[in-house]
Amino acid sequence: MTSPELMHRSEVAVSVELQTPDMTLNIGPQHPSTHGVLRLVARVDGERIRDVEPVIGYMHRGYEKLAEVRTYAQITALVNRIDWVAGFANEIAFIRAVETLAGIEPTERAQWIRLILSELARISSHLVFMSSYPLELGATTPLFHALRERERVLDLIEGATGGRFHPNFNRVGGVKPAAGGGSTQKKVSSDLPAGFFAGTKLAMDNVLAVCDDIDNLVTGNELIKARTVGVGVIPGDKAIEYGLSGPNLRASGVGFDLRKHEFILPYDEVEFDVAVAEGGDCYDRYVVRLDEIRQSVRIVLQAIDKVPSGPLQAKVPRILKVPQGQAYVRNENPKGEFGYYVISEGGRMPYRLKIRSTSFSNLSILPWILKDQLVPDLVAIMGSLDFVLGDVDR
Amino acid sequence: MTTGLFALDTAIKVVVVLAAMLSGALVVIFAELKIGAHMQHRPGPYYAGGRFGWAQPLADGLKFLQKEDLVPNGADSRVFRAAPYLVVSATLATFVVIPFGPDLVVRDLDLGVFYLLAISSITTLGVLMAGWASANKYSLIGGLRAAAQLIAYELPLLLAAVAVVVQAGTMSLNGIVEAQAETFITVGSFDISVPFLLKGQLIGFAIFMIAAVAELSRIPFDMPIAESELTMGYLTEYSGIRFTMFFLGEYLAIISMAAVAATLYLGGYWAPFVPENLLNAAGPLILGAKVALLVFIIIWIRWTWPRLREDQLQDMAWRWLIPLALANIVIAGIFKVAF
Amino acid sequence: MPDSPPERATTADDLAEWADGLAERLGASVISTEFATVRIAVARDRWVDTLRAARDDEGLPFFSWLSAIDWAKETAVGEGPAEPEDLVERYEVLCRLSSVRDASGAHFVAEIPKDDAWIDSIVPVWGGAEWHEREAHEMFGIDFRGNPNLTHLYLPDAFEGHPLRKSYPLLSREVKPWPGTVDVEDMPAVEGPSTENPEA
Repeated sequence: MTSPELMHRSEVAVSVELQTPDMTLNIGPQHPSTHGVLRLVARVDGERIRDVEPVIGYMHRGYEKLAEVRTYAQITALVNRIDWVAGFANEIAFIRAVETLAGIEPTERAQWIRLILSELARISSHLVFMSSYPLELGATTPLFHALRERERVLDLIEGATGGRFHPNFNRVGGVKPAAGGGSTQKKVSSDLPAGFFAGTKLAMDNVLAVCDDIDNLVTGNELIKARTVGVGVIPGDKAIEYGLSGPNLRASGVGFDLRKHEFILPYDEVEFDVAVAEGGDCYDRYVVRLDEIRQSVRIVLQAIDKVPSGPLQAKVPRILKVPQGQAYVRNENPKGEFGYYVISEGGRMPYRLKIRSTSFSNLSILPWILKDQLVPDLVAIMGSLDFVLGDVDR
Repeated sequence: MTTGLFALDTAIKVVVVLAAMLSGALVVIFAELKIGAHMQHRPGPYYAGGRFGWAQPLADGLKFLQKEDLVPNGADSRVFRAAPYLVVSATLATFVVIPFGPDLVVRDLDLGVFYLLAISSITTLGVLMAGWASANKYSLIGGLRAAAQLIAYELPLLLAAVAVVVQAGTMSLNGIVEAQAETFITVGSFDISVPFLLKGQLIGFAIFMIAAVAELSRIPFDMPIAESELTMGYLTEYSGIRFTMFFLGEYLAIISMAAVAATLYLGGYWAPFVPENLLNAAGPLILGAKVALLVFIIIWIRWTWPRLREDQLQDMAWRWLIPLALANIVIAGIFKVAF
Repeated sequence: MPDSPPERATTADDLAEWADGLAERLGASVISTEFATVRIAVARDRWVDTLRAARDDEGLPFFSWLSAIDWAKETAVGEGPAEPEDLVERYEVLCRLSSVRDASGAHFVAEIPKDDAWIDSIVPVWGGAEWHEREAHEMFGIDFRGNPNLTHLYLPDAFEGHPLRKSYPLLSREVKPWPGTVDVEDMPAVEGPSTENPEA
C-alpha cells in the first residue's frame, strides 16, 4: 500500500512502536482540527485509536528565556500573545504579580476597567469555542452566528485599548492612560472612548441573543448529543490529577472558579453564578462554556454601573525596579487557571519568569483520554478541551 | 420528433439529457452556495457574473480545468486516474431511465428501478478505488468508511424502492408514474389521483430520502469526507479535472436521487389537472419543480446539522432503517393483495 | 456545587500560621510567605513522600505546575542575582499544589546540586506531572528518576544544550547588540476631558 519510504517519513523521531495490524496515522501539524500546529502520532486499528502521542513545540517561542532579558513593561507587551484568543486576560496575572512585588496598588477605576475587559475577553474566547466546536462536528452554521457577535466584542476591545487581540493595555499601577496623560503628568486625562458603555450594553444584548440562537441550533440537537454525550468522560479526580482547570474542571463536577476565591480583580463586588456540570463529557464542557458566556454578560452589565471615576494609573517611577522577592499570581483565564511566578532579584528585569499556562496542563490529559477512542471522537474530545497552541507552547 | 433511426434517436436523446443534466448540476452547485450562504447570514458569491454571482460555478469549473495534473508519488496511477471517471459515468448512466414526460425518456426499460439502483452502486467502486489508490492514510480511512457506509445504505434505498414497486406492480419508471396517475378515488365528478407518498409510502419516502443523503455522502452522513477530520477523505489527493469529475458527479447524483425520489413518491412528471397532451411539454417543468424542492431540503439539511459518527451511521442503517423498510414492504404487499 | 461566600484574602499572619502548620505536619520548613506566596523547603530524598502527604492529608490535591530555577552567579544574558557573592549555586525544583475548595496553595521547593542534578519523579502520584517534568528536564538538564518518558517536549530531538540555564546565551543577542537603533517619536500632547464615565 504505502511505500516503505513514505511510512518511514511519518515515523521519524517518534517513540511509537510499529506493530501490525495497527497503522500509524499522523494527525497534524497542519490539520483542520488541531487548533494550531499540534501533531498527534496515533496508532490506529481501523477506526479505533490504540494510543496517541502528542508532539508539541512547533510554536515554542521561548517566553521564559525572553522574559529574562526584558523589562517588566516590555514583557507586558509580549504576554498577551500567549493565549491569543483572549489576549487581555493574559496580562492581568502578570501585571498583578509585578504590582504585588513592587508594592503598588492599582487605582480603583483601572481595576474595574480591567474586570470589564477580562470578561469581554472571556466572552470572546468562548464565542470562538462556540464557532469552532460545532464546526469540527460538522455543523457549519453556528460559526457565522458566533463570530458575528464576537466582532462586536472585539470592536469594543479595540475601541478601548487599540488592539483586537493584543491589547497591551495594562501598565503597572493601572491601565494605559490616553495619549498625553500618564502617571507623571499632573493632568488626568480620559480613557474609554465616548459611548463605550452604551456600545457595551448593546453588544451584550446581541451576545445574549446569539447565545439563544446557538442554544437552539446546537444544544438540543440530537445529532450533537449523539456525538458528544458520554464521549471523552473525564472524572473529577483525574481532572485534578492532571491540573485541568477552568470549564474543563467545572464540567467534571469540581466547582472551583478562581473568581470566587481570589480577588485580584473586584469580583467579590459583582454577582454571578459558577457554571458546573456533573458528567465530565464533551457535552458538559460545551454547556458549561455557553453558560459562562451568559454569566460574563451579567458581570459586565453590573460592572458598567460600578466603574468609579478617577485616575487610570497610580504613580509609578519611570524606570521600575522591582524589589527582591518571589510571587505567584493566578487569574481565571477563559481557558482555566493562568499564573505567573515572578522571581525578582531587585533589577529592572525578572530573574526568572515561570508561566503556568492553562492549555499546557489541559492538553497533558490527551494521551490518557484518547486511549481506545474512535478517530471521530478524537476530534470531538480535542475540540471540547478548547486549547490554543500559543498557550500550550508558550 | 423521431428520425426513424434508433441509433440516431438515442444519440440525440442522450446528448440532450447530458447537456440538460450537466447544466442542472451547475445550477444545483450555485443553489448550494447561495442557499448555504444566506442561511449563514452572508451573501455568498456576488462577484463572478454580476450581482448574483451566477457565473461562480462556471468560473470554478474553468479554474479547475487549468490546474496542474497531479498524481501522488506512491499512488497506483492507473486506478487513481480511472476512479473519477467511473463515478461520473455511473451517475450519468442513471439518467437513462428517468422520465421527464410520457415520451421524454431516453429508454424506458422494463427493469427501470433495478437498473437504476444497480448502476448507481458502481459509484461505490469508484470511491473505493480513489481511497486505495491515493497512497495516503487519510484517503484510505475515508475510502474504507465510504465502502462501509455506501454498502450499508444501499439496502434501505433498495428496500424502500421495492415497496413502491410492489404497490405499482411494475419496475418501469414510466409505469410507476402512470400508477400514481391512476384514479384513486372519485369525489363527485373529480377523479383524484394520489402520489405514492400519500398512498401509504410516507415512511418509505423518509427511508428513501435518508438513504439517498447517505449514498450521496453528504452531511449528516459525510464521514467518508469528514472535512474536519480527514481533510477531504478519499478526495484528498485529487485536484484539477479529476476533482471536477468527482465534484460534478456528486451534484449530478443529487439531481439523480432527487429525480428518482420524485418519480417514485411524488408522481414524477405528472401533476393533477394537467391534460394528457400537455404532459410532454409540461412534464420536465413539473418534475423540475419537484426535484428543486427535494434538492432544497437536501441542501438545507447539509448546512444545519453536524455529522454522525461511523458506528452511529451503521447503527442507524442496520438496526433501524432496514427492519423498517422490510416492514414497509410487507405492509405494502398486504395492502396490494387485500385491496 | 453551591456558591460558598467569597473568602476574604487571608491576612499575612493567617497565611504564615497556616504555612507553619503545614510545614510542621509534613516535616518540612517554611522559606517565606511574603507576597501571598507560600514557599516550603523539602529535602530531596523526601520529595515524593512529602508531596503525596500534601495531596492526601493536607487538602492540596490539585497539581498546578512543576518547574525549576537555576541559581547562578553569572548569567550569559539578563541581569544576575542581587547578591552574587552570597549565592549558593544550585537548581531549585518547584512544584505548586493547591486546593480545589479554596484559594490555598503552596510551592514546594527542593534544592539540588548542579553537579548531581536528579530528583525523583512525581508521575506515579500525578499523571499530569509528566509533561512538566519533561519540560524542566530539557530546559535545565535535571534528571527526573522514574519519569516514563523523559524525551524532549518542546525542543527538536536533535537540540543540544539546556536553554533555560543561566549559562545558555540568547543567539539573537550574540548576533546583534540590543536594543539596536531605536526610533522614538514623542507622544502628541492632547488636552484630555475628565475621567467621569462617558455617557452611558
